[in-house]
Amino acid sequence: MAIFDYKVIVDNLPFLMRGLITTFQLALIGISGGLALGILVGMARLSSRPYIYYPATLFVNFLRSIPLILVIFWFYFLVPIIAGRPLGDFLSASVAFIVFEASYFAEIIRAGIQSIPKGQMQAALSTGLDYKQTMRHIIIPQALRNMIPSLLTQSVIIFQDTSLAYVIGLKEFLRSASVVDAREVRSLELYTFVGIVYFIFCFTMSYFTKKWEAKKGMAR
Amino acid sequence: MRKDYLKILVIAFILLFPLSSFAQGTLEKISKSGEFVVGVRDGAIPFGFISKENEHVGFSVDMAKEFHKALEKKLGKPIKLVFKTTNPKTRIPLVANGTIDIECGSTTHTVDREETVDFTLTVFLTGTQILVKKGSGIKSYKDLAGKKVGAAQGSTNEKAIRDLNDKGEIKPAANIVVYQEHSQGFLALQRNILDAYVTDGILLAGLKAKAPNPEEYEVVGGFITYDPYAYIVRENDSKFRDFINIEIIKMIKDGRFYQIYDKWLGPKGVVPYPMSEEFKILLKLQAWP
Amino acid sequence: MLAYEFRWSVLWEQPYGLWMLQGIWTTIKLGLISWVFALLLGIIVGTCRITPWKPLRFLATAYTEFFRDIPLLVQLFFWYFAAPRVLPSAMESYLYRQLPQAEFWITVIALSIYTSSRVAEQIRSGLQSIPQDQFHAALSTGLTYLQMYRYVTIPLAIRIMIPPLTTEFLTIFKNTSLAMTVGVLETTFMSQQIEAYTFRGLEATTGACLVYLAITMLVVSGMGLVEKKLAIPGLIARGR
Repeated sequence: MAIFDYKVIVDNLPFLMRGLITTFQLALIGISGGLALGILVGMARLSSRPYIYYPATLFVNFLRSIPLILVIFWFYFLVPIIAGRPLGDFLSASVAFIVFEASYFAEIIRAGIQSIPKGQMQAALSTGLDYKQTMRHIIIPQALRNMIPSLLTQSVIIFQDTSLAYVIGLKEFLRSASVVDAREVRSLELYTFVGIVYFIFCFTMSYFTKKWEAKKGMAR
Repeated sequence: MRKDYLKILVIAFILLFPLSSFAQGTLEKISKSGEFVVGVRDGAIPFGFISKENEHVGFSVDMAKEFHKALEKKLGKPIKLVFKTTNPKTRIPLVANGTIDIECGSTTHTVDREETVDFTLTVFLTGTQILVKKGSGIKSYKDLAGKKVGAAQGSTNEKAIRDLNDKGEIKPAANIVVYQEHSQGFLALQRNILDAYVTDGILLAGLKAKAPNPEEYEVVGGFITYDPYAYIVRENDSKFRDFINIEIIKMIKDGRFYQIYDKWLGPKGVVPYPMSEEFKILLKLQAWP
Repeated sequence: MLAYEFRWSVLWEQPYGLWMLQGIWTTIKLGLISWVFALLLGIIVGTCRITPWKPLRFLATAYTEFFRDIPLLVQLFFWYFAAPRVLPSAMESYLYRQLPQAEFWITVIALSIYTSSRVAEQIRSGLQSIPQDQFHAALSTGLTYLQMYRYVTIPLAIRIMIPPLTTEFLTIFKNTSLAMTVGVLETTFMSQQIEAYTFRGLEATTGACLVYLAITMLVVSGMGLVEKKLAIPGLIARGR
C-alpha cells in the first residue's frame, strides 16, 4: 500500500474544487466582515466612554479565550433556538467567522492606532482639526501602514481557519476531501493533496506579506 | 467588495433578530421561503449516502423527493428541494432549531427523542448488530469485551453498548470510539483502527455491500436493540406531520413505497433485504383508510 | 418563543458531570504535554533560524514555513489518517489498536509540530529584537561569548518572549478542541456528547465555554505573576 494513486484526486477534482471555492468564499467573508466589525470594536476599545469601552473589551476578551469550534457550534445549533429562525451551514459559519475574527482584528487595530506617537494627535489637534478628522486623515492612514503586515497574517490565519467548518459538515475543501476518503479510502493521497494546496496558497500570501513589509517600512 | 461585506453584515445581524418565531407551521414556512430543506445522511447505506457522482442518493432520499412532489402540489407552486447533510448527532438539533424541515435518513423512533421532536409513521424495522472483519472471532456482543468498538455519536447503538458496559454485561468493558458518521467508522474498521463497528443491521449490510471487498466482512450477533425507523419533524406541528404521514400512506396504498423499497432493498437493489412478515403487516396496518 | 427548558444540572449530574471532568482533564493533559514538546522543538528550530550556517538556516526556515502554512486540522487528519498508511500494515494495526490512546498521542504529535513552528518564529523574532549594543557592551566588559549568553542574552530573550509565548500557550489549549474530530474525549467532545444524550445544547456548550475561559484566566494571571517576578525595571517599556 505504498503506491501513490493520483487517480482518486483527478476523478474527484470537480467536487474537490467546489469545496475549495467554498473555502475561498468563506475566507473572503470572514476577512472582510471581520475587518469591518474589527475596526468598530478596535476603536471602541480606545474609547473613554465606559459604556462603549467595557462591552467591547468583554467581547474581545471572551472571544479570544474560546476555541473557534465552539463559536461555530454556537451559531449553527444554538443561535437558531434563541433567534427563532435557522441560519443554515454556510451563513452560520460566516457569522461565526466574522464575529470570531473581528475580535482578533480589533486587537491588531487597537495596537496599530496606539503605536502612533501621541505627538501626532497633539499636533493635529493644535492645528484645529477635531478628533474625528484627526483619526480619519492623520492617525488611521499611518496606523494602517503599520498594521498591514499583521492584518495580512491574520487573513492567512482566517483562510486556514475555514477548515474548521468541517465540524458542521460544510462542504469546504477539507470536508470534501474526507467525503471522498470515506468512499475511496485513499487517505494518503487526499490529505497530502489538501495539505499541499493549502500550503501553496498560504505560503504565497505570506511571501507577499513579507515583501510588502520590506518595501513599505514602518511609519515612525 | 465593501458593499458586499456591508450587506452580509447587515443581513447577518438582521437574521440574528427573531423575525418569526416557530409559531408558524412548517407548511407556512416552506410556502413563504419557497424551499423544502431536507436533512439526509451521507453514510447510511442504503437509506442516505453519497454516490460516485458525489450526489445524495438512497431510499430515504427518494422518499423525500416524493414528499417534495406532493408539497408542490399541495402548495400549488414550485418549491426548491434542498438537501442538507446530517449525522446521528446533528439530526435532532437541526430539526428542532428549524435549519431543516424534515430529516429523512435512518433515525430510530424512541420515547426519549419524542421529548424534543416528533416522528412520522414507521418506514423500516431493524436493530443493532455488529460488523466485523471475517476471522475476528467476535460472534455476539459478549465478545466485544476489551475490544475497540466504533459507534456514531448520539445513536441508539452507541447508547446500547454503553448501557451494556455500565451494566457489566460486557466484561471487561468495550472501548467505545465515537464517530460522527457511519462512513467514518467503517473506514476505521477497514483500516483496522477498530475491532468492530456497531449500528443498525441494515446499515451494516449496506456498508458491507458498498465496500470494495465485501467478502472480508460479516454482520454478526442478534438484534441488540429494536430500531423502528421514522422521519423526524418538528415538535407540535400536526399539520405538517399529518401531511407527511398521509403521503406515506398514499405511497403504501398505490405501490410507490414498494417500488422505492425494491429499488434499494429489493433483490436487484444495493442491499437485498426481503421485507419481513412483521414489516409487511406493519405497513398494511399503518395505512389508515 | 423561547420554548426551551433549561436544565443546567446536566453539567454536574452523573454521569454527565463525570464526563465533563474527564474531558477537562484530557484537555489539560493534551495542552501541557504538547506545549512541552512544542517548546523544545520550537527553541531548537528557532535558534537554528539565525545560525550563520546556511543549510541549517534553510532547513529551519522550511520547517517553520511548511507547518505554519497548513491548517492544524489538516495536519491532524494527515497524521491520523494518512501518515500511518506508509507503515507496514502490521505496524499500522498495532498503532491503532494496541497502542493505548492512539488518538491522544497522534494529536500530541500534530499539535506539538504545528505549535513548534509558531514558537520557532517567536523565538527568532525575540532573539533578533535584542539590541545589538547589549552584545557589544557585554563583550567589551570582558565577558566571554558563553558568559554573554548566560548572563545577558538568555535572560533578556526570556523576558522579551514571555508575552508572545503566553499567547501561544493559550492558543495550544484552544487548539486541543480540534482533537474532538478524531475522537479524543476532551472538553469540547464531551460537551457534544452530553448534548447528544440530553439535547441540552445551550447548557453543554456554555459549560465548555466556561471551561476554556477558566483555563485562559488561570494562564493569564499565572503568567502575569511570572512576568512581574522576572521584570527588570526600565528594560522593556510598558504601554500601561
